[in-house]
Amino acid sequence: MLDIRNLKRKFGGIAAVDDVTLRIEKGEIVGLIGPNGAGKTTLINLISGYYYPNEGKIIFNGKDITRERPFVRAKMGISRTFQNPRLIGNMTALMNVLYAIIGKEGEKITLHEAYSEAVYYLDFFGLLKRRDVLANDLPIYEMRLLELARALALKPKLLLIDEAMAGLNPAEAERISALIARIRKEFDLTIVWVEHVLRILMRSVERVVAMHYGKIIADGTPEEVSRDKRVIEAYIGEEI
Amino acid sequence: MVRLEARRGRVIIHFYSRKFEWIIEPRYWKNPFIGLIIWLLIPPIILAISQIVPISVLSILSTLIFANILCILAIPLTLQIIGTGRVNFGPHFFAAIGGYTSALLSKNFGFSPLATLPASFAFGSLIALGLSPITIISRGLYFVLITLLLPFILLEIAYWQSEIFGAETGIPGVPMLFDTGNIFQDVILYFYLSLAIALVYLLISDRILRSRYGFMMGVINEDEEVAETYGINTTKIKIPTFTLTSGAMAIAGWFIAHYYGSFTGPAWLYPSFLILILLTTTLGGKGAIYGVVISAYVIATLREITRVAFGELSIVVLFLILLLLLYFLPEGFWGLYRKKRYREYFPTIKIRRG
Repeated sequence: MLDIRNLKRKFGGIAAVDDVTLRIEKGEIVGLIGPNGAGKTTLINLISGYYYPNEGKIIFNGKDITRERPFVRAKMGISRTFQNPRLIGNMTALMNVLYAIIGKEGEKITLHEAYSEAVYYLDFFGLLKRRDVLANDLPIYEMRLLELARALALKPKLLLIDEAMAGLNPAEAERISALIARIRKEFDLTIVWVEHVLRILMRSVERVVAMHYGKIIADGTPEEVSRDKRVIEAYIGEEI
Repeated sequence: MVRLEARRGRVIIHFYSRKFEWIIEPRYWKNPFIGLIIWLLIPPIILAISQIVPISVLSILSTLIFANILCILAIPLTLQIIGTGRVNFGPHFFAAIGGYTSALLSKNFGFSPLATLPASFAFGSLIALGLSPITIISRGLYFVLITLLLPFILLEIAYWQSEIFGAETGIPGVPMLFDTGNIFQDVILYFYLSLAIALVYLLISDRILRSRYGFMMGVINEDEEVAETYGINTTKIKIPTFTLTSGAMAIAGWFIAHYYGSFTGPAWLYPSFLILILLTTTLGGKGAIYGVVISAYVIATLREITRVAFGELSIVVLFLILLLLLYFLPEGFWGLYRKKRYREYFPTIKIRRG
């Protein structure tokens, strides 16, 4: 489904993503881990089109999307969430999801259909009661849920989740993890999930890719990666 | 018999046993024409007052025409700010383009005002289309600086090519729109014409903001990158918005040229006029096109009052008052009537329970 070939992105003299080659099959759920500054978010930004690579190619469903703009990728079915939730703060939760649906579908959907869809996604994430609350007034947990609802409302084929658990307490993190598992099952998604909370991530994914200094240092099942020497070295002092 | 009762946010008129309720917030007006009728009735009201109190009707109407000119510039500017997510500091540049186009075409080629109207719109839009890539390549301070420089460049050109543009004397001999021989009648006609243009802009802007296109513009205004994540082609929205709204601003120049019978670029291209336009937009309230009308009238009236009362100090006093208004009304005049919950500029959609 997603084929990344020799991808390179430099910021000044530093290569944030350095010669990354990665293949993700349809239906997979891949955890992307690595210490701070490993290049995980940059890779997500490259896949979603926020940055363009200096070298390399990104192929999605057989099409070269390396130079496509983010909106084209969104229309093709790549959807993402952000490390710091980027919601439209002075619009209500409902409007945030509704605008996503209208933006994606354009003229193809009636407003009435768009409302019912928006309500469906809000309900799925348990946010229906909070639909009239401004996005800025939501607590961080609900902001993360709303971001996921918005990303799902775009009917993606590939969902890129950038640290869905940052700033959440353990119980909330567990709930988010369960929700992501449910999303994958119900919506038949391929998911790339960047996360720092390794304890939960390792339980939730089938494949883990570890990055360090812009390079992929390990790729395999959670057990394999957690035993990998280079990964342990990269996370000095951190238990996996 | 007849009793007025003021409640929070509404006025109740008791007429014998009947009750008429009028909600002050215009969103809830059962009849949006009430606002329009008040606007249309301004000249007769002033005339009636002039019968009782000695006031100069002509100078008051000229002030109100200036307020309408501010509306004609500030309404498209508000729409442009929403649709491009950037604040254009050169609305008076586009007005001057329209003004010069009308003046030059009518003076040199004998175009009638009806022919210069589409010409100034087309030429203003064309220039804006040529400039529109700046909405893609620049944002923030860079966009502000680029748009701020445009009027100064035009000003320099006006001085440099003074045989064509007339520099400070302007281009005289532009045919007037109305020449009935009665100056009083003419001014009233000019008032209603400028009001009609502002009203058309208001209705078009309202329709656009409530459409899907307006939804997308709203997202771009909030966060362009998020808009792209939604699958919105931001270029496809920003460029037409910038082009057409700038063309709409050029029509203000057309009106100015045919109202004064001449067009003097330096009178309109200096920042003092720009500041009035920007204040009209800001004091209207964020993204509030109806608020713009209120603020245009307040600003034009204040400008005239300070001019009469303070003479040389008038500009200082005017800007001090406007500064205080900005400080005390962070959400503009429109915000005065709004509940906190409705901060977003599109109506919240209600969904029935169950």
